[in-house]
Amino acid sequence: MRGSVLPIENNLEETILNFIKEAFDKKCIEAVILPKRIPSGDSFAYLLIKDKSILEGASPFPPVIPVQGAKAISSLTRQGSVKKKILAIMHPCEIRATIELFKLKQTTLNNLIFMSYDCPGVLPLSDYLENPDENDQTFLAAQQKWDSKDMRPVCKICTEFSAPASDLHIGQLGTDEGKIFLIPNSSVGKEFLNAFGLNSDVPLDEWEAEVEKLKKERENNKKDAQEKLKTKVEGPENLLETLSSCITCHNCMRVCPVCYCRQCYFDSDAFKFPPDNFISKSEKKGSIRLPSDTLIFHLGRMSHMIHSCVSCGTCEDACPMDIPIAQIFNLVADKTQQVLDYKPGRNIEEPLPTVTYQEEELQEFEKPYSETYIKVEETNV
Amino acid sequence: MNDEYTPRIVGFLCNWCSYTGADLAGVSRLKVPPSLRIIRVMCSGRIDPLFVLKAFLKGIDGVMMMGCHPGECHYQKGNYNARRRFILLQKILEAFDLEPERLGIWWVSASEATKYAKVTTEFAKEIEKIGPSPVANEIFL
Ligand code: SF4
Ligand code: SF4
Ligand code: SF4
Ligand code: FES
Repeated sequence: MRGSVLPIENNLEETILNFIKEAFDKKCIEAVILPKRIPSGDSFAYLLIKDKSILEGASPFPPVIPVQGAKAISSLTRQGSVKKKILAIMHPCEIRATIELFKLKQTTLNNLIFMSYDCPGVLPLSDYLENPDENDQTFLAAQQKWDSKDMRPVCKICTEFSAPASDLHIGQLGTDEGKIFLIPNSSVGKEFLNAFGLNSDVPLDEWEAEVEKLKKERENNKKDAQEKLKTKVEGPENLLETLSSCITCHNCMRVCPVCYCRQCYFDSDAFKFPPDNFISKSEKKGSIRLPSDTLIFHLGRMSHMIHSCVSCGTCEDACPMDIPIAQIFNLVADKTQQVLDYKPGRNIEEPLPTVTYQEEELQEFEKPYSETYIKVEETNV
Repeated sequence: MNDEYTPRIVGFLCNWCSYTGADLAGVSRLKVPPSLRIIRVMCSGRIDPLFVLKAFLKGIDGVMMMGCHPGECHYQKGNYNARRRFILLQKILEAFDLEPERLGIWWVSASEATKYAKVTTEFAKEIEKIGPSPVANEIFL
């Protein structure tokens, strides 16, 4: 891969904000979408900025993800495409979710230009809120050292932290002190760099090598973390123990970028039953929980969207009961996405795995599970 | 509590092939397991994964998904979609070690009464071997 080199002036944030201001001046863009600290100082919000003076003090690399960027994009385009060129800077997982929303026909991407960056992870939202000042320092240090120890559990095991299918990518790994790479990922990205008169033919071997290295590390973290998690969710007893503190607030669904339904099935009338239904169930078991939809909600939600889950962790950040819900979804997403050979947000052209099929595929699963299982195990060896 | 265990199996059968095949098995007086309750759907593509999950969480011991052979779906691609949804479900169950062997998919055409009798009998035996569903008596679902 090839890209451009950009010197860092003072710090990374300022460099990128200046780059954006220049993009306004060069008429490459007419607006930008990026996070800025809210007035109270303890969180961040996405802003659509037309007046470039408001860029002052914006945070292209925020320490938390309070609202998933894909939600910001889909709110903008709910009634149609944008007519003016707009640049959006987001974490890779937010861009991947945006691509899934596009495939789900929940957003249009005309005239939107996406800028991503090598992502060191973000802090858990509730931790951050406890002491924003101190946590800003923690984040800064972690960001510089690529140390994920304080980052969210899903960030520690994220292997898709680099160039998603964005237009321009900021490479921070493998660069010399005081420099970043700007990597064009599409023709739009190339035009951008051309407008800046940047030579986009610099080889990026070191960046690629560092990305690979970190990927391996994260891959290993993931294996370990998933093994640990399995002991908490395998088997009905463990799974129930982990999930039964759920208060069915459905926050996890509401903040999830790919749970796009205007009305969720689990909030709908189709999911309400007459009293006799509950009474007869409680007669059979002796008792039932009320409301009685904890497990069906989580498993059902999975069955609807797990193939598009980008493991962004927004659901876990929003859970008031500290349920490791994003880690649980990640575990299942890995399995389902692997067998369907699908990675959400990998490629905008790739159809959703539930709407496409091959005539000859997956036949090994049409046998009774016991036989399939043995066969698959053998081929894995 | 009843000590004797009679498994409860639900079969989602597509109207055009599998259900007709089941019908033919009946007319031909082939022996099919009494534990199987049939729910007719127009096409295997209509089997929402939620139907299956709901059945399991209600304490059903086994679920069979059945449709026309690939290439013979009366709506062209319903069974191809069903196959992918089935795998999705199987992987969800597998991830939580929720006994994925309690779920299966079969292609049975309108004339395959013998195949229908065979696979349902085999599956019922398998389910009997696995034993009653562990979620049947769970209260905190
Ligand atoms: S759980 Fe299912 S129905 Fe509810 S919002 Fe998500 S995808 Fe839609
Ligand atoms: S389920 Fe959670 S981790 Fe997955 S996409 Fe939705 S919010 Fe992100
Ligand atoms: S946010 Fe947490 S408590 Fe609320 S429904 Fe989701 S898992 Fe349950
Ligand atoms: S009509 Fe039988 S599977 Fe579609």
